[in-house]
Amino acid sequence: MYGNSHTKRYGKNIYHALLFLIFICLSAALLLSPGVSEAARVPLLENAGACLVCHYSKDMKLVFTDKDKMPVTVSERDFAQTVHSKLNCADCHQGASPEKHPGKAVASRAAFRKEASGVCRTCHSDAQLRAKPNHAYMIDKADAPLCTECHGGHKVLSIRQWKAGLQGTAYCLVCHRQNISKSLGPDERLSLSIDPADQASSVHNKHACSDCHTEYTREIHPLKTFSSPREHSIAVSGVCAKCHEEKQAALRGSMHYNLSFRAGEALISRGNPKAPVCTDCHGFHTVGPKKTYETLSGTPCRKCHEGIFAIYAKSVHGMAKARGEHQAPLCASCHFAHEVNFTAMSDKIKGACLGCHKGVEELHKKWLPNTELHLSAIACASCHAPSSEKGIYLQFVDQRTGKSLPQEQILQLLGTTSPELSERLDTHGQGLSSYELSYILKQLNKKGVGSQVAYLGKMDVVKYSEAHQLSLKKNAIRECETCHSSDSKFLKKVTLAVLRTDGSMDRYPARPDVLTSIFSTLSSGQFYMVGGTRMTLLDWAGIIVVCGGLLFPVLHITARVLTAPLRRAGRSEDPAKGDKS
Amino acid sequence: MKKIFLQPLTVRIWHWINALCFFALIVTGLQLRYQELPNITSFRTAVDIHNLFGLIMTLDFFLWLAFYIFTGKIRLYIPLDLKKFFTGAFAQALYYGYGIFLGKKNPHHATPDDKFNPLQQSAYFMVMLLLMPLQIITGLFLWDIKRFAYWIGLLGGLKVVDITHVAVFFFLTAFLFVHVYLTTLGRTPWEHIKAMFTGYEEMEENGK
Repeated sequence: MYGNSHTKRYGKNIYHALLFLIFICLSAALLLSPGVSEAARVPLLENAGACLVCHYSKDMKLVFTDKDKMPVTVSERDFAQTVHSKLNCADCHQGASPEKHPGKAVASRAAFRKEASGVCRTCHSDAQLRAKPNHAYMIDKADAPLCTECHGGHKVLSIRQWKAGLQGTAYCLVCHRQNISKSLGPDERLSLSIDPADQASSVHNKHACSDCHTEYTREIHPLKTFSSPREHSIAVSGVCAKCHEEKQAALRGSMHYNLSFRAGEALISRGNPKAPVCTDCHGFHTVGPKKTYETLSGTPCRKCHEGIFAIYAKSVHGMAKARGEHQAPLCASCHFAHEVNFTAMSDKIKGACLGCHKGVEELHKKWLPNTELHLSAIACASCHAPSSEKGIYLQFVDQRTGKSLPQEQILQLLGTTSPELSERLDTHGQGLSSYELSYILKQLNKKGVGSQVAYLGKMDVVKYSEAHQLSLKKNAIRECETCHSSDSKFLKKVTLAVLRTDGSMDRYPARPDVLTSIFSTLSSGQFYMVGGTRMTLLDWAGIIVVCGGLLFPVLHITARVLTAPLRRAGRSEDPAKGDKS
Repeated sequence: MKKIFLQPLTVRIWHWINALCFFALIVTGLQLRYQELPNITSFRTAVDIHNLFGLIMTLDFFLWLAFYIFTGKIRLYIPLDLKKFFTGAFAQALYYGYGIFLGKKNPHHATPDDKFNPLQQSAYFMVMLLLMPLQIITGLFLWDIKRFAYWIGLLGGLKVVDITHVAVFFFLTAFLFVHVYLTTLGRTPWEHIKAMFTGYEEMEENGK
């Protein structure tokens, strides 16, 4: 039994030794074979034992010349997942070996990254990079993001592999968080960078990028071209209507959309580069909550209306805002954010004033006769911006509805065009006369048309900017004589305002006598100001009538005095006759 | 000489209140319309005074109207017999324009039932039953333009209402001069005025 067992054990050892030799031979053959060696290369980690002895430690840090420290830990497990898992450390960290370790001092983290990214180009040629547009333009761009900024250092994954685990915004921000831009022309570039922090703090932070950028998906990334940043802004702003159609509708009705009363000032619809579109006020990816605009500095209107801001800052509202009184109104408080329109002939502004100044009508009633009429016919700023220049604005109104007659309807009723109307409203080039106004009104009300057009008048400031210099209540105009006098300078500035359906307004200067002429009465005039718009003709008629009444006693007394001798003679002839004279 | 009772207390009260209102309304009305004239008070105060006396005059008018309607004396103002009216008016005009200068007798003899001569009757008819209501209505409309906007529209617009109010103001002012002067053409210059205080007017026994 003992002899057999010993023989068996010996044979078994020989058998194992042979197997080992065969394994060594086969391994050597495989390693030495050129066709097989590449495929069978040992993963880096098996060859990086020496490197990982140190770089495995999480305490390992590289200290730059500027004293900045950077961890240089390499995770064995993470690296095994990367596209570079088959590379040796020295493939990228060229020239590095246990004997020759890169212990040189590097100036800074940025310099290190730049140098490290430069290594990528050893394998990834320009031709390979140019094949993809997002890489192509970076080749020639000095400030292009470094390779490692997108792809990482040791966790280099294929983009497909990398993005597979990302959802929504994070997927897009992989690239767009980088400092990337695109050329819009020789001198203009459009930034495509998005600060993740801005996006995260915006009111749209729950939205995926493709909610707005609807043409873009994970698979489709069309390359768009714009001739200017402006064109880009308009295109992007159009997207907002997808969710905010009511705001878009309000904007389309605003003066910002189609202002045209002055040549060259036409706005959005006419391509004015200054016209505000959504992104001009709200930004692209930084769309903030409404309260963002509740500070003077954060108001987007200021970009174009700086002059008005300077006036506003000195106003009672501006000073209150500066003191930190958050209730004080800013632009949108009175003008509203999207439906910004002309204040002249509009009740919107007044509504805004009364919205905050509750009970103001009752306060005015304490001292202002015909309060309701005054408040409806006079803009708040006329009295509360005491130094402003004021004027009278006349407007055609449909008496049945009480609404203003838009220019389009006026043209239709008159069967004319806009240029012809301008000519007809001022035939002699000296301003609209009362006769011209009454003639136009007569035509607007001609038989068969069925219209009931009259004109109404309102007092408002002449320069819109001056409407913003609202003063303290104690400085407001309270003297009735300021307006209720034929000498009032405000009555000398009369304008016919013709509103268009798009909210814009044409202004036709009128002669002051348009309010005082007999024709103003014949033309269903509804504007009347005691003492201010009195008719000269009526005054003269009044003088004649009153003088006639005064003249009767004077002449009669004179006649009685002159005829007194006759009566005395009569009494002497007949004493029975009595006379009372 | 005999005394006849021509002016009841109600009429006398109405008359002097009306006179006071006329004066206040004319003065303040002038100031409201003609700021360039010397002002006795501020525009604002003038408006208040004008409104106050306008209201008093309106109430006073209704006092007058009620009195004359309920006593049936409203007929004093209405020429019921047109032939008699025109004949009398001609005679009265002839008197004022001619006879008075020659010392002729006044063709009309006032009695409680026939207080006004035809010219007075037509003038007071115009003033009290046409111009005063017109002035009150237009004044009321101008007092609260918004409230009476519909009615103002019916009258032809604010300007028409204003012009009417001002035109009536001119006529009433002119009338006032003539009215005051004619009150001095009684038996003595103060006869008619005194009667408007006492109610009684002295007449000769034969009623002349």
